[in-house]
Amino acid sequence: MKGSPLKTLRILLVLTAFLMAGMTAAFLLRPGSADAPSLGAVRLGGDFQLQSSSGPVSLADFRGHPVVMYIGYASCPDVCPTSLAVMTQGFRRLSDDEQARVRGIFISVDPERDSPEKLAEYSAFFHPNLVGLTGTREQIDQVVRQYGAYYRIAELDNSALGYAVDHSSRLYLIAPDGSLAEVLSHNITPDELSAKLRLLL
Amino acid sequence: MPSFSRFAAPLLASLLCVAGPALAEVTVSDAYARAVPPGQSNSAAFLVIRNDADEAVRLIDAASDSAGVVELHTHSEQDGVLKMRRIDAIEIPGRGEHSLAPGADHLMLIGLTRVLSEGDSIGLSLEFSDGQRLQLDVPVKSIMATMQGMQNGHQHHAE
Repeated sequence: MKGSPLKTLRILLVLTAFLMAGMTAAFLLRPGSADAPSLGAVRLGGDFQLQSSSGPVSLADFRGHPVVMYIGYASCPDVCPTSLAVMTQGFRRLSDDEQARVRGIFISVDPERDSPEKLAEYSAFFHPNLVGLTGTREQIDQVVRQYGAYYRIAELDNSALGYAVDHSSRLYLIAPDGSLAEVLSHNITPDELSAKLRLLL
Repeated sequence: MPSFSRFAAPLLASLLCVAGPALAEVTVSDAYARAVPPGQSNSAAFLVIRNDADEAVRLIDAASDSAGVVELHTHSEQDGVLKMRRIDAIEIPGRGEHSLAPGADHLMLIGLTRVLSEGDSIGLSLEFSDGQRLQLDVPVKSIMATMQGMQNGHQHHAE
């Protein structure tokens, strides 16, 4: 270790503060209490604009469609693809007509590794109605705040990955009018998700 | 040179015998690597390791012919926040087994040297704390396929 002990301590303190903030947020917004998507008087959800491979996309573009949104990163090897698979399997439980009307949004909080082009390819792997979006750090942080999500870049000194992204893992169910209908645990089954989507169709 | 092979064959056989009984103690089942979308440089492999010895043994390293580096990783979830970290070893209890499964411990395949598609297989070698090594041929499975398998089989498959 090169840095002075004091510097290390300071970094640790800052990280701890972030962690505590994140844990508090995660606790307050934990899926168990997520049926009412609001935190006290703060209403979660809302419009945002991000980048897709074919240009800017905002949530307003999805008006008229029930949307399932997930916030993660593409090089996440396990939790994100599992959640996206649940999402898209939920889509596939619907009839063809119903399926044609639902949309999925995958937001990457890792724009350094996930270009819009890479996200387009990644999303298409799961379902044709899933779009991959990312943006500037400011744009990403805004969406993350709006939806009560959480992420933190965690440097991994001991791994060839370089860094991992600690993150909340939830499915945001958005009504056709753009309002956040429900925040769902990523442990939801495809059948449960398709039932919830049908209620919004 | 017949005299050499006559000499070498028993020697090789005796070497294999030394390794033989040890190799039987750790076995692997249900191994698969996860198929990835094109352009993805990382993936994960999952498997169940069974240890038939009385003593615990630790998985300490892994390598693959299809990834630059293979690391042992684990996931933890705390108040809805998921974290993935590298770990040094994964312990398999004596007369027991340990599952490397989605959402838990797994082998992280970093720097894939090719696209992993459903139906492919990759070579995977595992090294244990007592010197045992396992060389595996592991099928690549799509997450959709493994998820279908987890459902009760009556789902219609719209693809």
